[in-house]
Amino acid sequence: MSADRPVSYPDVAGTLRQRTREAVADAELVGNLRASADAWAAGRTRMEEQHAFAAMRERARQIRTDAVGRLPELLRRLESEVRAAGGHVYFAADGAAACAYVVEVALARGARLVAKSKSMATEEIKLNEALEEAGLRVVETDLGEWILQLAGQHPSHIIAPAVHLNRGQVADLFAAESGRPVPREREALVAHARGRLREVFASADIGVSGVNLAVAETGTLCVVENEGNCRLVTALPPVHVAVMGMERIVAGWDEAAHLLEVLPMAAIGDDAATYVNLITGPRRAGEQDGPEELHLVILDGGRSALRGTEFEEVLNCIRCGACLYSCPVWRSVGGQAYASPYSGPIGAVLTPLLEGPTSPSAELPFLSSLCGSCDDACPVGIPLHDLLVRARARVRPPQRRRERAAFRVWSHLWRGRVGYWASRVAARVGLRLLGRRGWVHRLPGPGAAWTSQRDLPSRWPPT
Amino acid sequence: MSHIPGIHSAGMRAFLMRTCLADHLAPSVARAAAEVLRRAGVQVRVPAGQTCCGQPAWSIGLPDEARPVARRALRAFAGPEPVVVPSGSCAAMVRHGYPELFRGTPDEPQAVEMAQRTVELSQFMHSHGLEPQAVAGGSVTYHDSCHMLRILGERDSPRAVLAGVEGLELREMEATEVCCGFGGSFSVGFPEVSGKLGEDKARHAAATGADELIACDLSCLLHITGRARRTGIPLRARHLAELLAG
Amino acid sequence: MAADLAAELIAALERRRGSGAAVAAERAAAEAAAHVAGVGAERAVLADDAWLRGLGLAEALSDGGVEVLWWPTGHDVRELLGLDGPEATVGITVPVAAAAERGTLVLAAGAGHGRAIDVASMHHLALLPAERLVRSLAAALDTVYGRGGVAPSAVSLVSGPSRTSDIEKISTLGAHGALDLHVIVVERGGGSEDP
Repeated sequence: MSADRPVSYPDVAGTLRQRTREAVADAELVGNLRASADAWAAGRTRMEEQHAFAAMRERARQIRTDAVGRLPELLRRLESEVRAAGGHVYFAADGAAACAYVVEVALARGARLVAKSKSMATEEIKLNEALEEAGLRVVETDLGEWILQLAGQHPSHIIAPAVHLNRGQVADLFAAESGRPVPREREALVAHARGRLREVFASADIGVSGVNLAVAETGTLCVVENEGNCRLVTALPPVHVAVMGMERIVAGWDEAAHLLEVLPMAAIGDDAATYVNLITGPRRAGEQDGPEELHLVILDGGRSALRGTEFEEVLNCIRCGACLYSCPVWRSVGGQAYASPYSGPIGAVLTPLLEGPTSPSAELPFLSSLCGSCDDACPVGIPLHDLLVRARARVRPPQRRRERAAFRVWSHLWRGRVGYWASRVAARVGLRLLGRRGWVHRLPGPGAAWTSQRDLPSRWPPT
Repeated sequence: MSHIPGIHSAGMRAFLMRTCLADHLAPSVARAAAEVLRRAGVQVRVPAGQTCCGQPAWSIGLPDEARPVARRALRAFAGPEPVVVPSGSCAAMVRHGYPELFRGTPDEPQAVEMAQRTVELSQFMHSHGLEPQAVAGGSVTYHDSCHMLRILGERDSPRAVLAGVEGLELREMEATEVCCGFGGSFSVGFPEVSGKLGEDKARHAAATGADELIACDLSCLLHITGRARRTGIPLRARHLAELLAG
Repeated sequence: MAADLAAELIAALERRRGSGAAVAAERAAAEAAAHVAGVGAERAVLADDAWLRGLGLAEALSDGGVEVLWWPTGHDVRELLGLDGPEATVGITVPVAAAAERGTLVLAAGAGHGRAIDVASMHHLALLPAERLVRSLAAALDTVYGRGGVAPSAVSLVSGPSRTSDIEKISTLGAHGALDLHVIVVERGGGSEDP
């Protein structure tokens, strides 16, 4: 099975069901996830107490909806403003084209070392692999991403990629990388990474960043962060390549100011991120720092095909990760089980839509209890519950062929009184035959999955 | 919730949707719901031709399979009376799902109309000021089922109805807004994840020390009690209607 | 009004473990030099700003034995990052605006103001003319982008010391940027021109 545009990680083993089963049995993982989700929830509660969050969210929804509606016009404006400021703009139809462009830029400069700041779009297009295949060394400089790079793992969260690991696991990775013991205190671990990565900032030939938001009217790229690595990556190397999903745009600064306030509230439970880097073109005459060249890669990758469809609202996403933390399923299995850079509810909708109809991620929309907590969590009001249901209707995973056949039979039986009556009689008789002292411990056929985890009361209320 | 659009208290007649799950696994829930309504002075009609709201197929992405079954519900519940459902999830399917399920079909007006007069049982009672007229000793804890809480936006009605039961104490559990992990096909598609969430819920419920767990959705209760039984957590449970019927 | 905004700005920064003080212009240089001595910086990299020069800060720092470098320093990146030369550096910036409500400083890059001064240094000290305080982020951004001129090549919004929550989701300071942030709100305009 191959996707039109692979977004899922190709090296992930096992079926989705197997990965969730292993994750849920991993007590250390579940403890790490729970601690992170609890910390997020406390921050969110604080934000809702201090700010008129519901009103902010409605305005954010309107801003995003308007921007997605005007996307072609806004992108044209952005392109001309970035060019006017001295930057280069490349529209990439898909990940392969985007990677090829960045590789070409790197080779043209004779680059050897690429310093990266966190970017979901580059995870989506597998840019690191493309650069490495072209002979470049790529170093992730976001602390979480660097930890994962050392671990050879994929991110488990949009904002906090290494949230599934604890400090002991991190210390072991750092010790292996540096060849010397590293203390397990968080402060010491952070200081260790700071020291190791400073050499990378100093010697990188190219800095690669993502883009949280582009402001069309001035051609400005907004890169939001807490660590400072995004600034160093975009300010120090002689070339800056920014990769953005084509929908990450607003018309002007009023809209941008609002989203820049909403994003950290939703993502980290704080009313401001530490740094927001607003970049309008490369270094100008007389300036001592800043890149000589700025390249903006605008990625379609299946996004434009979603405009005007029943899935258009996924393009409103600002990648805050709130729906992940709010999701009881994500909290139980973590992001890696999804095998996509986009996990949780938004990832379960977005990944198969981006990958196309034959995607290996077609099962993802089914990894949800449809509890709707993501709807409440989303700061731009994306109706994720409904989109999950619609995504299930759109992608038809082959693994579920038998289920679909069963439901065709069901539909015929239950649309009439006789079939429905027969079904009730069968249930009553079945429960009486299988029940032992009020409980069924093992159901046959499709019911076996139910009784793999639970008993079924053969009399209600149960005793 | 003080007023639900499309519902008028005059006449006090209502349809009862039994729900397919009660029909198959727990007929006592539908019987109790009818009894509670009658006791409150409502003339209850239980259409014999009803089957299922269609949600099982709809929610796994098979609208074409769901529609004929849901159409049967449209026909069975045709009329001016409110449709009362002893399930937050089935009520949410009709209220929220039907307009989308029938969009662009000849049945769309009827689907929208039925959605507007469909309510969950405790919503119906609370919005009409119907007293449960029940007496019960001891204590209960209440499980907020997801579709009830987040699609219907209903947190208060079941609690108000429980508060009207003489002699009953409500003990809130920890993390009551978190999903129990049932999730329809999710419960069998990803049983390990579903089972773990159900176990968490059962532990929270048991930790309140309440005599029993009450919910407005039989589906959650089957899952939570089944997981509790499997993992040895002592937990008794009933549907809200059964508690009220006594 | 300005005093209220200064207090609001400092309170918001303190929530993110930054710090600040509002002082009169005559006292600003001494206050800043005392802060630099307090964090133990050996080298200061200063934004080249006429108003800042007018405060007499360079003299106060030199008197305290701190090496003073005005931007552009002409040094290479390794020195700015503290890999060569003294590691204990302080970047001294002059925000073009600040949003009090959420504790955000607005730094605009230019020939005299490097875009990495604050982040490459170990410590960050901002001297803010009190008149540049506004309440909201939208108003602060409007002072930079809303007046029809050419947007600066880089603008940095800074709302606290560098931090990360990437280990166990617990906020830890000093990731890649400055380990601390102190803002001195300078009242009554400092007696010099205000760009």
